[in-house]
Amino acid sequence: MTAGDIAAVPARRRRARRFVGLGLGWSLLAVGFLLAFFLLPLIDNGIKSFFGPDGFSTAPYRKLLSDPYYLAVTWRTLQVSAIVTVASLLVGYPVAYFFVRYAGRWQTLMIMLLIAPLLTSIIMRTFGWQVLFARRGVVNVVLRDLGIIERPLNLVNDPAMVYVGLVHVLVPFMVLSIAAVLQRIDPRLEESAMILGAGRLRAFLSVTLPLSLDGVATGCILVFMLTNGSFITMLLLGGGNVVTLPLLIYQQFNLTRDTAFAGAMGNVLLVFAVACLFVQLRLIARRGVKA
Amino acid sequence: MRARRRRRTDWAKVGLGTFVVLFFLFVMAPIVVVVVVSFGEAEFISFPIQSVSLRWYRRIVEYRPFIDSLLVSLQLAFSSALLACLLGIPAALALARSQRPLAQALATFLLAPLSMPAIVLGFALLYYLSALGFGVSFDALLVAHTVIAIPYVTRNVIAVYRAVPGDLEEAAAILGAGRFETFRLVTLPLIKPGVFAGSLFAILISLDNLPISFFFGTSSTNTLPVVMLSYLQNQFDPSVAAVCTVQMALAVVALLVVERIGDIRSASV
Repeated sequence: MTAGDIAAVPARRRRARRFVGLGLGWSLLAVGFLLAFFLLPLIDNGIKSFFGPDGFSTAPYRKLLSDPYYLAVTWRTLQVSAIVTVASLLVGYPVAYFFVRYAGRWQTLMIMLLIAPLLTSIIMRTFGWQVLFARRGVVNVVLRDLGIIERPLNLVNDPAMVYVGLVHVLVPFMVLSIAAVLQRIDPRLEESAMILGAGRLRAFLSVTLPLSLDGVATGCILVFMLTNGSFITMLLLGGGNVVTLPLLIYQQFNLTRDTAFAGAMGNVLLVFAVACLFVQLRLIARRGVKA
Repeated sequence: MRARRRRRTDWAKVGLGTFVVLFFLFVMAPIVVVVVVSFGEAEFISFPIQSVSLRWYRRIVEYRPFIDSLLVSLQLAFSSALLACLLGIPAALALARSQRPLAQALATFLLAPLSMPAIVLGFALLYYLSALGFGVSFDALLVAHTVIAIPYVTRNVIAVYRAVPGDLEEAAAILGAGRFETFRLVTLPLIKPGVFAGSLFAILISLDNLPISFFFGTSSTNTLPVVMLSYLQNQFDPSVAAVCTVQMALAVVALLVVERIGDIRSASV
């Protein structure tokens, strides 16, 4: 077909339609890049973890799932993620609620303060906690001056510090996820419940809380997923007391270079991540239907 | 009855308000502490500081690894964001408005790197790229950081482009603008805020990335976070605090610049 065969008007219309929807082909570059450098490496890693120096072997996985030490590490990874998720929820929900219902003209400031930590490096925030919790750090000095303790506590290597550090890093994600959903709930629903005789707490528990569960779920999945992959906080604040899979991968890589085993641990983490992603997609799909 | 209810409401507000103030103290405390410590004079870290000095900022300049790795980090962050834009913007434009299930699946796939633990990806990429002959090099780092950058660019551009009515481009086309002209004169200015926001996130994430970068560490490819981490594990002096403060200042400046450009853009549209 030559250009002369096409009349002017149909050509223009054809062109107009093209602009409205750029063909899916245009996504191939990005999709191809991620296939080559994201999906394939992960698959490759999965396959390689089954092949040791002597051919096919499931030894790394057997070690991971039978050795009490490694089993405990896997279990602790999930445990730490769960505790951090619950703690972030308990801390973050009231903040999100205040943000939506009471903050008013302070909302801009609150948003800025919530985003500010995300502009600092994770090393900076962890380092800050190290300084605060040091033997002669602020926390110890204040506690001593208040007469609560006599001798400085050794806080830096306490497992509790890992939780403080992780909640600090991840709680903004929780607040933002919950606030996004709370914002869409009509405050008059809660008022109606109170007019009909429900107490403040009851109105919150039976009206607002159930309506906000979508945001709670989104935030929880996000925080759980992000904790699952963290190791810097455990490394710098845990003092070797909170060993999770990512930290162990880091250590194995630096010390033993047992790649098959590190790969196997990575795959276990990946399974957790894929499970979270699946739940997340289900949530999004459900919300899409609702909207 | 009415008065009692009002007083109860106030109580809830005061209680929550106090909680929120404490919350933000908690959020800001470690950051403020690091900034303050960086201006200390003493050889060791103490808070509050005894006297103010800039000696730890001079130390950054004198300690070569900090400067070298900062340059590597900046180069890496900007080039991976650029590469992600080149790959991600066409993809975002192609996928944003399509209702086809395939398009939605592809869009989800482009966001997937966000959900995978970065340490696993870094580990897997190290061996994969070595097998491909990239070895431990800047190029390998660039590929790895681009994988992480693509979701941020795509997500932001998709969000912005979805909000733009298709009529504008259609009008340009009907008025006789060519494909490229329409893109340059209509589409690109419209999606610019998304491109800037996405690039900013990609750059910030790249500058802070440790779980991927540390796998590719050699003296010429060490990024700033990798050097900071190893410094922190060996020494505990305020110079890391100074580096952190500089890094934060850079991020804040970048955010302000992008917001400025974004505002000018949306004001003129």
